[in-house]
Amino acid sequence: MTRAGLREHRAVAHAAAREATEREPRHRPWLGALLAAGTAAALGVAMAGIPREHAPLPLIARYALEIAIPRWKLTEPVNEIVYGTRGFDTFGETFLLLAAVVSVMMITRPRELRRGYFGEAAAGAREQRQDDPDVGSAATERAARSAERREQGDQAPVGGARAETPDATPLGTPAPETAEAMTVVVRTAIRVVLPILAVAGLYLVTWGYSPGGGFPGGAVILGVLLLVYASYGRRKISKVIRPGLLEPLELAGAGLIIMTEFLGLVLKGSFSANWLPLAPMLTPLSGGVAQLFSAAELIEVGTGLTIAVFALLGMSHDWARDDGGQALGSSGDGERER
Amino acid sequence: MILGNYLASVALFCVGLFVLLTRRNLIKIVMGLSLMEAATYLFMVSLAYRAGSTAPVLAGPPAGKTAEQLARGNVADPVLQNFCLTAVVIGVAVTAVFLSVVVRIAQHYRTLDADRVRAMRG
Repeated sequence: MTRAGLREHRAVAHAAAREATEREPRHRPWLGALLAAGTAAALGVAMAGIPREHAPLPLIARYALEIAIPRWKLTEPVNEIVYGTRGFDTFGETFLLLAAVVSVMMITRPRELRRGYFGEAAAGAREQRQDDPDVGSAATERAARSAERREQGDQAPVGGARAETPDATPLGTPAPETAEAMTVVVRTAIRVVLPILAVAGLYLVTWGYSPGGGFPGGAVILGVLLLVYASYGRRKISKVIRPGLLEPLELAGAGLIIMTEFLGLVLKGSFSANWLPLAPMLTPLSGGVAQLFSAAELIEVGTGLTIAVFALLGMSHDWARDDGGQALGSSGDGERER
Repeated sequence: MILGNYLASVALFCVGLFVLLTRRNLIKIVMGLSLMEAATYLFMVSLAYRAGSTAPVLAGPPAGKTAEQLARGNVADPVLQNFCLTAVVIGVAVTAVFLSVVVRIAQHYRTLDADRVRAMRG
């Protein structure tokens, strides 16, 4: 690096450090501390008056414990509450989850290709000039951009020129692309652990042993997929993680939940009532409608969380346009001409 | 002394609130919200605790006891465990919404500073 380049680099680093200390750290810390301390005092006083470890169980809890076996043939009272006594609450939460997943899908969606002419540039030109005049970028921003371009364009070690041909690249220098898979040690370990994890999670849900049934089961499914993604790379799971498969599955789970709960209203006269015959205790079908709800919830939570997390992981470099009409790191499709 | 747990959850909640009030970095604001969320989980699980109780599981009761006796005996509160369990899953999804909004803001405004994101201020 030349002396001038070094000086510029130092100036940028210095500006960045000054900006970080200027802008980031605290915003009226005393006011914040005062408000937080006030909240802490109010909550602390409230905490002094609530039931402690020797209080009797609330009636709803005792009721749920006592009817779990006689009415539902469930040995897991938490499941009885999630899918039975408070089934309507769980029903609502399911759709809260669905709403969150739909929001993530909407927000992370890539840009659509242009399909028609609207003339919005000509129509909005006056407003654009008024509200967003085209000012030149500041000196620090230019310096930061040139540093970024240098970093992107030149991966070679400092002081050394880039190798002429790939054959001349010295051993140990990083490849132009990030590694897709992890080392063979990690991949082998994942290969051993994965079936155990998946089978254990699904087994606990199927037999109704896990408190919450489909909720933790769905999280286990997400964990399994994330382990594969982290160790083997995106390509290995791209057959499974695609919107065309996951989104219909998610909606099928939601539909199954609606059907399960609504059939109670139709057949038994009460929303979320049990309309299935009860199998003996400690079998996969014990609990009747609770197990069906749990299975549907497994689909819903598993696919929903997977869609949300992978949508977030897959957000592209979709930067808004900046000074030169060239978005950094973006393919530039859909950009307006200036 | 379960009161210690209650007060710890209050402290955690207020740390999250302090972060929310004083920081302007959007990622840190999301972290503050997650802290407040975690405080409520700690509070609910602590509230479910009963001294000397067993977990609310009726399968395989100990020798000399029936499942019915277990259900009427000293167990932790299953209702609060239910709340916590569903809240964790919803919390993950809501955090994903926050983070995707933050990524979009960063891509649009090229900053994570909430003070600079003021195009809506008129």
